[in-house]
Amino acid sequence: MSRAALFVIETSARILRANERDGVLGDLAEVGAGPLRSFCAIFGLLARQHAEHWRDWRPWLAGGVALPASLLLLGVSFGISMNSRALLEGDSAHIGFPFLFEVLLLVTWSWTSGFLIGSLSGHTLWVSALLSSIPCLSCVFRFREPSLSRICVLLFLIPGLLGVLHGRRLRHVPFTAALIIAATVTGLMLAWNEMHLCEWPLVLPAWFLVAAADKFRNRREELPSC
Amino acid sequence: MREELDKTRHYNYDVEYIVLGEFEYILLTVTAGLGDQAYGAAIRESIVKTAGRNCSIGALYTTIERLETKGLLTTWMGEATPQRGGRAKRMVRVTPEGAQAARDFYETMLRVSRNAAWASCEPESTL
Repeated sequence: MSRAALFVIETSARILRANERDGVLGDLAEVGAGPLRSFCAIFGLLARQHAEHWRDWRPWLAGGVALPASLLLLGVSFGISMNSRALLEGDSAHIGFPFLFEVLLLVTWSWTSGFLIGSLSGHTLWVSALLSSIPCLSCVFRFREPSLSRICVLLFLIPGLLGVLHGRRLRHVPFTAALIIAATVTGLMLAWNEMHLCEWPLVLPAWFLVAAADKFRNRREELPSC
Repeated sequence: MREELDKTRHYNYDVEYIVLGEFEYILLTVTAGLGDQAYGAAIRESIVKTAGRNCSIGALYTTIERLETKGLLTTWMGEATPQRGGRAKRMVRVTPEGAQAARDFYETMLRVSRNAAWASCEPESTL
């Protein structure tokens, strides 16, 4: 194998984990694989490793939540921006539901959706991020409201990203906390008479966190201690 | 190590019967057969020879990883040899859980094949 080919192979193998890299490159050297075969083997392994993540249902659910949740939260962010503008202009007549409750709902919806995506995505987080960025970018670039900044439709991003970070780190919310969050969100949604029917699915991540916390709690009780 | 054990037990905590795929069974059997000499290239060569099927490095290593996550295999880095360009071998060993899963798979295949014409050694049986 030429030096250039060896360099390309070694560089592409850097994507693999250290112990895996040694095993794979050693195996290829042992069977005397050529540059093309080695290259195909490394990228074949990477492709299979990524495909392996999709054997589980969790990345599918995370991706399935990322796209519709972003779409809905974009609309809610826009509504809150319009209401905040009206509030700043002293026109509170059009604001039926207390403004702070709307903001609280937006923050909780975003955080719970983000938490669900972060805890379920694992190595496929980039796919979920891509799916949620498609409607965001599309909306920002097509935004035509002169009195508002384009960024106002992305109000959900900060609590959403915090949720993703917490989800990746914690994996589970304590059961009581999850129950309080889900009950509060549902109560606020029931109290909000003018809420669109299409926004109701945003309650699902909160109740999913309750179910996951309950399952995790039961599992810990079942496992004997080491 | 303890974390690994917890992870493994956690993964299989509610699984009474680990179901193997055909390739997973082949890999476990070949690995068990190679004993202390079981590592990537040797397993691959043995699969090609005994099972008569092609086995890519990608298929081999992703299956090893999957079986390791299920607690059916353990891997560790072995010695480096000049033949391998100074690279270490990724050694593989079947765990007792892996041996049990392979035995279950084998017995299931024997049971379901009992009345099949191609499984019988009787001279009068024909396909």
